[in-house]
Amino acid sequence: MESNATTSRLTAIALSFMAVIWVSPFSWLILNAFNPMSTGQLEIPKSIGLDNFALAVSGNAGRQFLNSLLIAAGTATLSVVVGISAAYPLSRLRIPGRNAFLWTLVLLRMLPSAGVLVPLYFAAQRGGLLNQFGVIIALTILNLPFTLLLLKNFFDTVPIELEEAAYVEGATLFQIVTRIVLPMSRAGIAVVWFFSFTGAWNEFLLPLIFSRVQDGFPMSVGLYAAFGQQGAINYGFLTAFSIIYAAPAVGVYFLLRRNMNTGFAGVGVKG
Amino acid sequence: MLKKGFLTTVAALSLMATAAIPARAEVTFMYPEWIAALVEPGIANFEKESGETVKGIKLPGQGYDQRIALDLSAGTAADVNVMDSFMVSELAAAGYLEPIGPLAEKWDQYQYYLPGLLEVASYQGQVYALPTDTDVRMLWYDKSNFEKAGITVPWEPKTWADILDAAQKLKDAGVQYPFQLPAGTKQAEAATMQGVYMALLGADVPEGDRNRLLNRETNQWIGDSPALRRTFDLYHQVYVDKKLNPADLNYATDIGAAVRQSLADDKLGILASGSWEDACLWDCNTPPSREERDAQVGWTPWPGSGEPGAKTTTNISGGWTIGINSKATDKDLAFKLVTAIFDEANFKAWTLSTHRMAVRTDISESPEYMADPFLAKATALAADTTGRDTIPGYQTVSALIQQATSDILDGVSVDEVVQNYHDALVDEFGADKVITYE
Amino acid sequence: MKNQANPWLTSNLLVLGLGMLPAALLIAALLYFTAWAFAFSFTDLALVGTKAVDWSWVGFQNFERLFTRRGFLESLWTTVIFVFFSALVGQSVLGFLLAATLRGTASRLKSVIEVCIMLGWLLPDIVAAFLWSATTSQTGLINAIFVRPFGLPPINFINDYALPIVIIANIWKGTAWSYLLFSAALDSVSREVVEAAKVDGATPFQRIWLVQLPIIRPHIATNMLFITIWTFTYFPLIYAMTGGGPGRQTETLAVFLYNQSFARGNLGFGSAISVAMLVIVGLLSLVYLRMLREPK
Repeated sequence: MESNATTSRLTAIALSFMAVIWVSPFSWLILNAFNPMSTGQLEIPKSIGLDNFALAVSGNAGRQFLNSLLIAAGTATLSVVVGISAAYPLSRLRIPGRNAFLWTLVLLRMLPSAGVLVPLYFAAQRGGLLNQFGVIIALTILNLPFTLLLLKNFFDTVPIELEEAAYVEGATLFQIVTRIVLPMSRAGIAVVWFFSFTGAWNEFLLPLIFSRVQDGFPMSVGLYAAFGQQGAINYGFLTAFSIIYAAPAVGVYFLLRRNMNTGFAGVGVKG
Repeated sequence: MLKKGFLTTVAALSLMATAAIPARAEVTFMYPEWIAALVEPGIANFEKESGETVKGIKLPGQGYDQRIALDLSAGTAADVNVMDSFMVSELAAAGYLEPIGPLAEKWDQYQYYLPGLLEVASYQGQVYALPTDTDVRMLWYDKSNFEKAGITVPWEPKTWADILDAAQKLKDAGVQYPFQLPAGTKQAEAATMQGVYMALLGADVPEGDRNRLLNRETNQWIGDSPALRRTFDLYHQVYVDKKLNPADLNYATDIGAAVRQSLADDKLGILASGSWEDACLWDCNTPPSREERDAQVGWTPWPGSGEPGAKTTTNISGGWTIGINSKATDKDLAFKLVTAIFDEANFKAWTLSTHRMAVRTDISESPEYMADPFLAKATALAADTTGRDTIPGYQTVSALIQQATSDILDGVSVDEVVQNYHDALVDEFGADKVITYE
Repeated sequence: MKNQANPWLTSNLLVLGLGMLPAALLIAALLYFTAWAFAFSFTDLALVGTKAVDWSWVGFQNFERLFTRRGFLESLWTTVIFVFFSALVGQSVLGFLLAATLRGTASRLKSVIEVCIMLGWLLPDIVAAFLWSATTSQTGLINAIFVRPFGLPPINFINDYALPIVIIANIWKGTAWSYLLFSAALDSVSREVVEAAKVDGATPFQRIWLVQLPIIRPHIATNMLFITIWTFTYFPLIYAMTGGGPGRQTETLAVFLYNQSFARGNLGFGSAISVAMLVIVGLLSLVYLRMLREPK
């Protein structure tokens, strides 16, 4: 333990150094966001002000924020629910070729969504889904291969002996899943949920194409208000808006992280 | 890619859907954000006069072209749509747009539109959309750098040799970007319009469309011609042989800002661009005063190559348009909305305040418009302008031209670039749709 | 171990089947849509215009053109370099090292690091592109700190070192994912196992290499597959930063695909490019799949 002190100090220094490198490009973002006369250059502002932020939250931003939240949380939740109920059987039942099948699905997702976009759009139109619900379903479909493969991997790491023990004590399938499997793969589920959430949060093309009304646009579409016609970009708006835009997702990450500790030992003893 | 029967079912379903939701007839209208200042007052006037409601949907410029193509093909598009003029022929060819001519007969302001600009929004002799604005193209130059390089100002180049000569002097005087000639795929349509086409038009005689990308008589694309070779050779001289300009401005993340910055820092010699530059020049936040602009930059028309019989100056114009969906429920009402937007008072106010080039004589000949010295002078260039080759396939050809200029930047020879371009045209359109000159 | 018949599973097959039903339906929809993309690669389908409605089958013509026309092979090489250095070397290794180092520590430093890498991940692609182009420009941060103080002329990084710059930007942007996945995976390695190894006198390196890595092998393989796919098809950052240029220096297959499908409007050729990409990554993934197998 004591010999570890210098090593951990060195590690801490290396990590701090990395954090500095990692965060330094943000100086551009911050300097421009708080500069009312922003030009997109890296420069110290002559005056500091919140004008850009005021501009970013005016107009439709509130509505767009709610839409983003709805689409992102909806997609993440639907993906995880659908994913869990299929990934558990996939992990536990002897279905031949399931790994190859899941990998093939993931590979198929390589085909660009641009190619899928046209048939997807026509299908959504026939189903009356040219709205946010349609966006949620479409994104869930596109996410599902990743979600299934990840969740199955996490379920695979849950020792089946614990489930056996619970069964012997008279637990039902539902209890086994909700009391043992899900808590023990909580970290993995959180990762999958968060991944779907951020993916949907940043999705631009689907909501743009699907929404019939302006009020249906999320923040990812609102961001592009910064771009004028002749390539004249309002950098102040762009940077301020993107800070506001990225902040909730960072917040969601920290809310999730608190609950991510799986508490392996505890469950093991009780089982 | 979907069968006709399916399309009609889809259209019928969408009609039912639109009929089911709102009780009253309404006109739907889709437009990109940047044009809001023109269309929103027009919509308000229309609603006041007719008592109808307009359901407007405002989109960011990003992804707009994709959405409009998808919406029109799926039958979910708005009744009235704003679109880039180069899309009009493609969309009209697919039957998505309503001809404007018959609707406009009774509209007294239709006569003022410049015929050349209506032609840009036409397909097979029919007008399918009305232009909102236009532009002309020219060579801008930095006066202080010209003085440093010992070139007389005002600069009046007569041939390409004059341009290359000036660029060489600028380079020798230490100017970082002596001749910024748009090239490459990142520049997109700018490489075709501001660069290649402006040179091409002056590279050979106009007879038989030898100075164009398309023979407009036979509707065949020109896969190889002296004019194309001369134009690509100009690029080769600028970017490879004489190294008269570094390539990086063409690939900047924000090309517009990068160009403005180099103009502000006096790093630019000659810039091949267009009339819109005047609205901003080097600072879009606080545009410089007329005097400051005139002191720092000047402009001159693009000269021809100097080949015998070729044009002495060249120009080509683009712009945006408003058109009506061929599936619109009430086309007369839809057109009424269009006329409300283009009504003289509204249209003129927008044209003047945004510093755009007028598309109608009643506006361009008005005293307010003539009072702007830049617009008055630039509009003179529009007298001898032309439009893009408005037949379906232009977009593809333009993209191939951009790829060709990209390859030149990579050092590929003119022969090989022309060969690649010709082969790609044959791939796209078939050998019978591609011709070569000489 | 999970292959034996387990009574709580076998008696509930119907319930389990019902649970899989929604996913099965959505997967069927996905297969239906991707079948379109496959079919398109054998057609001359265009994005707009007459060929968007009135297309025809062209057989393997699009695939022949991958090899007879300029662009595909050049872009493939660029993509291989981009994926290898930014995803496999950069994101994956860095993400794992961070996850292993920060594991179990609840220090403030951990939170700071997590915020840092998470911000990169969450920043919209287009903004990240502007941020990196500003950072590497002649007036940018790197020149201001490392070049100009030494009296050197500012370096035009995007012009002179375009590919390394987009690789670095992509590492910055994407490491969060590998970090997250490896953190969660390491978390599922029971502490007792690690403690036991410690008691047996294993060094920290041995604990990672011999104990933890083998347990999370499936996660490593999955992660490799995911980031390979994402990086192969990742488009917005490069496109916004350099548009594939200067010339074709950073034209990865994703950018090439976009140029052919959207700028040129040839969806048929574009689909053929993406099918070819699929085959290439499919072959790669066979390598990753081998990692899933237990060693003897």
